[in-house]
Amino acid sequence: MKILDIAFKDLTRSFRSVFAIGMMVIAPLMLTGLIYFAFGSVSSGTPSMPAVKVGVLNLDVLPADAPLDVTLGDNVRSMFFDESVASWITASDYADEASARAALNNQEIGIAVIVPQNFTERFLSGDKDVQVLVISDPTLSIGPAVVQNMVTMMVDGVSGGGIALETFMSRQQTNGIAADPTQIPSWIERYTTWYADFQRKLFHHPDQAAFVVVAPSASDTEATKPVQKMMGLTMAGQMIFFAFFTGAYSMMSILREDEEGTLARLFTTPTERTSILTGKFTAVLITVILQGLVLMIAGYYAFGINWGEPSGVALALTGQVIAATGLGVLLIAFVKNSRQGGPVLGGGLTTLGMLGGLFTANMPNAMPAAMNMIANFTPQGWVLKSWRMVMDGQSAVDLLVPFAVMVGMGIVMFVIGALTFRKRFA
Amino acid sequence: MNAIEVKNLKKSFGDLQAVQDATFNAESGEVLSLLGPNGAGKSTTISMLSGLLAPTGGDASIMGHSVTKEPEAAKASLGVVPQDIALYPDLSARENLVFWGKMYGLRGAALKSRVDEVLEVIGLSDRQRDHVGKFSGGMKRRVNIGAALLHKPAVVIMDEPTVGIDPQSRRHILDNVKELNRQGMTVLYTTHYMEEAAELSHHIAIMDKGRIIAHGTHNKLLKMVGEQTRIDIMLNTEADKILSAWQKIDGVSKIDSLDGKVTALVDDSNRVLPRLFDAAAKADVRITSVDIQEPNLETVFLHLTGRALRD
Repeated sequence: MKILDIAFKDLTRSFRSVFAIGMMVIAPLMLTGLIYFAFGSVSSGTPSMPAVKVGVLNLDVLPADAPLDVTLGDNVRSMFFDESVASWITASDYADEASARAALNNQEIGIAVIVPQNFTERFLSGDKDVQVLVISDPTLSIGPAVVQNMVTMMVDGVSGGGIALETFMSRQQTNGIAADPTQIPSWIERYTTWYADFQRKLFHHPDQAAFVVVAPSASDTEATKPVQKMMGLTMAGQMIFFAFFTGAYSMMSILREDEEGTLARLFTTPTERTSILTGKFTAVLITVILQGLVLMIAGYYAFGINWGEPSGVALALTGQVIAATGLGVLLIAFVKNSRQGGPVLGGGLTTLGMLGGLFTANMPNAMPAAMNMIANFTPQGWVLKSWRMVMDGQSAVDLLVPFAVMVGMGIVMFVIGALTFRKRFA
Repeated sequence: MNAIEVKNLKKSFGDLQAVQDATFNAESGEVLSLLGPNGAGKSTTISMLSGLLAPTGGDASIMGHSVTKEPEAAKASLGVVPQDIALYPDLSARENLVFWGKMYGLRGAALKSRVDEVLEVIGLSDRQRDHVGKFSGGMKRRVNIGAALLHKPAVVIMDEPTVGIDPQSRRHILDNVKELNRQGMTVLYTTHYMEEAAELSHHIAIMDKGRIIAHGTHNKLLKMVGEQTRIDIMLNTEADKILSAWQKIDGVSKIDSLDGKVTALVDDSNRVLPRLFDAAAKADVRITSVDIQEPNLETVFLHLTGRALRD
């Protein structure tokens, strides 16, 4: 009973400490939050890039004998006014080149697209020098590239259609089939409609496009939510780093009690020293468990992190708690006082965290092979490995090896630390 | 019955013999003061009595329980008030008392009522919800004492509980000690303030350099000095210049200087004082003040050790 009384007292003190709460919960959430907001727009799938302002000057006119109902210039123009691009392109018409250039100079628009007067006629006649002019604000980079790409694709598509038509007509002629010239406008219109629809789907609904590229080994989660996974690993790295910090910091309460005189006073009460130490270890254990649960729940609701199957999560979290508590007890057992504890914990745990790969958790392939090997000698490395496996959808059975390593490391460190404490306070 | 029995207690730290063959008793229901200068071995002695330090030799018992053979039983009969505040500053006064009560095995309604009683005794019922860290030094001292009283111990050890506090809190603590003793508790009170020892104690043990050099009632200790008088003298210069000359004067039995004050033990102040002035004049030392004191515990200490009792 006294063990729980001591643990409860330590927990009460921890949860009243702003510093402790900050390091336990607020810091990992804030760091993950910063990364989340840096990539947040990508992760949500709804880009929040400011809209590209495009001014369109369409001078094109339909030649009298053109086999088309609308000019190619109209097609280019309608591409920028299409509702499917309305969320990221704001288009406006201009009556002449001077007003379009003036709008560009005044930064009312970022890009001006100018279709020359006889664009359709020259294009159909095979004039290779005919050009759609794209003028952009030199301070912009992404927007002009996108607009230029759109115009190029549209023109390439029409060129492709023209080549296809010529080939089709030539083949018909070779085979002695007389082509009906009255059908040509209809073919061109059908092709243009198909091509515009294809491009639209390719950009905005890749899953409905004619060609869908799927990586052979990628799971659905990886294919559809890569950023969520990245956030999950980032959060896991932060959670592990601060779990180890919390384990050690909570254990430092024994040094503070020694300095405050309350540890000596505890020894004057009819309470066995083993019970006092066990009570303090229990408090550390509970603190690290609570911290893990809070961070996981917060990560789920704040960042939409899918931690994985409950059984695997339970194993990974349990291993994390045992390893963090064990390392905390071991480190503090060799620290003389709380003043020395700060630098030792900060330096030691940051170094171990780096070696364990916690700060590159979301890009494991960026680590050299040697570093990945070194990570296997740190408890943090094994905890991270177990979380990666859980988040990759591996089963609890797959986790048994890293779990056993985490528990083994934790117990060995705990026993060494506890024996050192017993000797120290004997 | 002896509530505290100490027999040939020893404690060494390497070559340093902090406590050497300390032997004394305290009867049930009495206040025993352990008086001595800083470093005399008082805190080491009570650390051994309270189970914090293991003796190098000898033994001690609390209410018949050996501190070496039955430490848990001895601790259950004992309440310890440490010299420094040993409380949790981020817990309230009540939370501190509840925690320490639990450590002494109290639970439930008994714990609650006892905490209420102790809060009343230490005069902090109205501040019980405030964090101890916000208390004044005196209030912390009172909670520090209260935490040792929760389980109604037969013996209370107080290690210099009045160090560094205001006169009002000091008075409160001394009255508490008297009240506890009136209720039947045996109190072992360590101090280097002789007036506290004189006011509170049935018996006084004087300790110096790890040894008990005298043990008895206040009056019995004073009789050791006989008819001698203590004279405190202030000088306008360092005492070393005149001390050896004064030591040779007939009638001066002991003389020592501390912090610019010379303390002399003399047989007859009327006879000796003029000689002291003459010697000072010859050595070109000016006496700035003279204070003739009736014999007290400080005189006893000077008589026994040849040194003034340091604050």
